[in-house]
Amino acid sequence: MDNRIENLKYSISEALELPKDIVMDLPKIVMVGNIQLNISNHKGIIEYNQDTLRVNSSIGVIKITGSNLKLKTILSEEIVVNGFIDGIEIIS
Amino acid sequence: MGTIKAWNFLKGYVIIKVEGLTLERFLNLAATNDIYLWDINRIDYTILEMKATIEGFRALKEIVNKVGCRVEIAEKKGLPFIIYKLRYRKMLGVGFILFFAIIILLSSIIWDIEINGNEKVKDEDILLLLEEEKIKNGIIKYKIDKDYIERLLLNEFDVLSFASVEIKGTKLIIELKERDLPPENIDEDIPVNIVASKKGIIEKVIARDGRPRVRKGDVVEKGDVLISGIFSDEYSENRILVHAEGEVFARTLYSYKVEEPIIKTIKEETGRVFERKELKIGKRGIQFIKGDIPFEDYIESTEEMKILNMNIDLPFKLLIHKYKEVETREIKQDIELIKNSNHIKAVEELNKQLPSDVEIISKDVKHYVRNNTVTTYVVIEVIEDIGVKHPIDN
Repeated sequence: MDNRIENLKYSISEALELPKDIVMDLPKIVMVGNIQLNISNHKGIIEYNQDTLRVNSSIGVIKITGSNLKLKTILSEEIVVNGFIDGIEIIS
Repeated sequence: MGTIKAWNFLKGYVIIKVEGLTLERFLNLAATNDIYLWDINRIDYTILEMKATIEGFRALKEIVNKVGCRVEIAEKKGLPFIIYKLRYRKMLGVGFILFFAIIILLSSIIWDIEINGNEKVKDEDILLLLEEEKIKNGIIKYKIDKDYIERLLLNEFDVLSFASVEIKGTKLIIELKERDLPPENIDEDIPVNIVASKKGIIEKVIARDGRPRVRKGDVVEKGDVLISGIFSDEYSENRILVHAEGEVFARTLYSYKVEEPIIKTIKEETGRVFERKELKIGKRGIQFIKGDIPFEDYIESTEEMKILNMNIDLPFKLLIHKYKEVETREIKQDIELIKNSNHIKAVEELNKQLPSDVEIISKDVKHYVRNNTVTTYVVIEVIEDIGVKHPIDN
């Protein structure tokens, strides 16, 4: 049932060329080189220190590893991380 | 990004340190409550450092109570705090305001009056006239009525055909245009003689009115009457005065002398320069001397250092005296060459002197070579109208 609705949303966004992050409530991750990362549509921070950042989202936990990570801004729908980013992992 | 920073500075913000165990919860709550936090950094396992606006900081208190952590302000930044501090340092604030007040005051005063474009009217006369109208150095520039000054100048000096008054910074610039005055027009009713304006030999006299006094071949001096406006009768005392009219053409000479030494000492720069700086405040100067000038022969030139490359007249100037070393050398020049160059120079000079409507009859060039100099005389003979009207005084 749930899967069917998801599929329908996917087809609609595909057909109408709507952005999927909005239609399907997905997080949008944008990286600028390896020094900045924006996550919009997140669902809260789970863990943060200078080496790791774990953010909750609709697709699971997004884990960002790196060094000297700093949170540039935290808003209810967007997180901006600055620092040297090594990896992104999505744990669902 | 810069604008956001500037905005934050104007609004004021605090750098706070939050100490606790569930700091992620603190951040999430802040985000959901729409409290803007930025530049968050984990400096220790239990300590977060971040920036928050002043209102944001107040709103954080509720979250702090909920989460159970400690918040302390590490630093206050921004304009509101600076102003707050200034309350306890009133004199600093007063000085700040005074500083701007003085700048505004000084820049609204006329410090210099520049007059351009006048040849016949003297600067001093214009300045005197302006001074009578209380326009001089040191007045407030907003008080100046430009149109009034323009009209005043045009009325006072007939020679002026155009006047514009402009204020540039602290400078009052008066731009003038003078009209070419026609030779003094004497009313036709006034009886006049025609007199010689210079020495010459009369060539032709055309008297339209009045009685010619000279004939072809006469030598006249400056001031001699050429065409008389007085008709007098031998038998009666009656005199008839007329306005004499006519042209008197005469041969006149224009000469020019050029001297040029054959052996010439010229100064050649060796390229070595010695500099000395001077600070000039008003009319007094302070020279920064570093040793004597190491050259025997030198040319001195003075340059003014422009501050910030702006064209402002400051009461102080930085001058650089440059001493350029020179070598004197003697050069023997070719006599023929000197003669030619002298000739050209003299003719050029004479062309400047000659009135526009003359007829050149002859040109005479003479060179004399005498102890180390070549002297060249150029004499040009022309025919020109030498008659000038001159009122007859009774």
